[in-house]
Amino acid sequence: MRINPPDAYWKKDVALFFGKRFALLIKMLYPMAIIIPVAASNIPAEYAAAVIGIVAVMAGTFGAGESLTIDLNDGILMRVALTPVSPRRIVFEVLAVNALLDFVQLFPALVAVYVLHPAPLIWVLAATFGVFATLVTANAIGIFIANFTSSPADVLLYATAILFPLIYVSGFFRNQNPEGILAFLRNFVPFAYMNDALKAVFGLPVETAPLSIFVYPVIVCAVLVFAVCLMAPRLLSPRL
Amino acid sequence: MERPFALEATDITLRYRSSGRGIADLNLEVDRGEIFGLVGPNGSGKSTLLRVLSTSTEPDSGTFRVGGADGLREKRKVRAKLGLMVDRPTHYGDLSGWANAYFFARLYGMKEEKAEGALSELFEYFDLAAYRDDRVKTYSYGMGKKLALIEALAHSPEVLLLDEPSLGLDYTSQLALQRKIRDLASSGVAVILASNQVDEVESLCDRVAFLHEGGIVAEGTPEALVSSLQGVRRIVATLRNPVGYEPVKGVAGVDRIVPEGRDLVVHCEDRPGIVADVVAAIVRADGDITDLSVRRPSLEDVFVKLTGEALRDED
Repeated sequence: MRINPPDAYWKKDVALFFGKRFALLIKMLYPMAIIIPVAASNIPAEYAAAVIGIVAVMAGTFGAGESLTIDLNDGILMRVALTPVSPRRIVFEVLAVNALLDFVQLFPALVAVYVLHPAPLIWVLAATFGVFATLVTANAIGIFIANFTSSPADVLLYATAILFPLIYVSGFFRNQNPEGILAFLRNFVPFAYMNDALKAVFGLPVETAPLSIFVYPVIVCAVLVFAVCLMAPRLLSPRL
Repeated sequence: MERPFALEATDITLRYRSSGRGIADLNLEVDRGEIFGLVGPNGSGKSTLLRVLSTSTEPDSGTFRVGGADGLREKRKVRAKLGLMVDRPTHYGDLSGWANAYFFARLYGMKEEKAEGALSELFEYFDLAAYRDDRVKTYSYGMGKKLALIEALAHSPEVLLLDEPSLGLDYTSQLALQRKIRDLASSGVAVILASNQVDEVESLCDRVAFLHEGGIVAEGTPEALVSSLQGVRRIVATLRNPVGYEPVKGVAGVDRIVPEGRDLVVHCEDRPGIVADVVAAIVRADGDITDLSVRRPSLEDVFVKLTGEALRDED
């Protein structure tokens, strides 16, 4: 399969991702530079899991939000939207390829975590899948944010406003054992499932069953992807 | 059955909420093989009209069809029939020119071999073949424009929408573009050309519409529009130094004076002795004339006559 010259939107993103060697090196190294020291340290397991979660959430949200905002401001995405390709397909490809490329960036660091903290295979798979579901969710949030932003600084502002409550509900730092409405809301946030799986990898007991990590986040992600794709015509229209 | 127009727009209105400007009740019919010029100063509505016709923005009211397909309900069909070049083309700077053009050709549904064949020919035609593998961020403005033209033409569109296509191109490329547009039109492609390069519009277009404050103020063949200005002259005096032109304004029969760089362009009545009177007035104002020409009116003069405004900002 030929990636460059690209014949589809996702291939264009892949070609750009691998096209700049120095940038690629940085992209691949920075998750490892943050995650491996944390995984190798003696900090409490719940915080180690939280750090990995935060890296995944931020990489996904800012990656998609910023690159989309820049492409929209530049006008190039509008030009792509004026081809016969459906806007929903374009947005779906943006979301899918960004989530996959973010996963490619995070995967070596995750492997290092699994090497440093050997865990049952089911939890390793659950954590890996949980991270991917988080990246899909974060990218969907990034694309949603790009509907309203006109600069990378805007992305930061909006992302903070949206992500902080979700991170709180997911129980990354405080609110480790939510009750009542918070416990109910937690079920709808894929970040929470990733957090539980990573805690299990780090050796903490969790109430979540590994199988649920392969089921509920998929449903939530499917709804988010559908909603974001529905917004595509608006996202790819000029802002007058 | 009657063949539909290549492009047909009826009562198109689009007002920007922020400024209240836009276009109102515009009607347009462009036939296959016709080159149609849209001329008007900045803010007259040319780009807004192209934005609507390209399906980028829905109008507040009105409808349009491209090759029989409804521009509001069948957007993807319409997009497939359109070749589009916006006034400020953008590309993926970290991809090569070839990769950019190939990407767009494939998005327009071209098969691999056909895309490669068409692009090779166009890169050669626009003298971009030597730079095809360079990253677009290293391209000059003119090269970026040529690449945008290639992207607009590669998929053999039925209707070509070009916004200021020759702006920023070198003279040779302008001629190549004009030749290409004529070739495309003779093969049945309808071309809508928004431009303020009146010479180009006059020489290329079969019909021209003047836009002013969001409406069409005149439409016709360039010859018919220019011949409506019988009795008008255009005196162009090139001066060594800029001078005040108050005395020229006082000459009987002078309608308007437009300084364009070192040239003083005087629009005036065609009466005996007026050239001598204008020259005398310039000399009285201490003007040192290095060149002088009396030209027949152009489309620009028609626009000035119709609206009282210049097409381009005065220097």
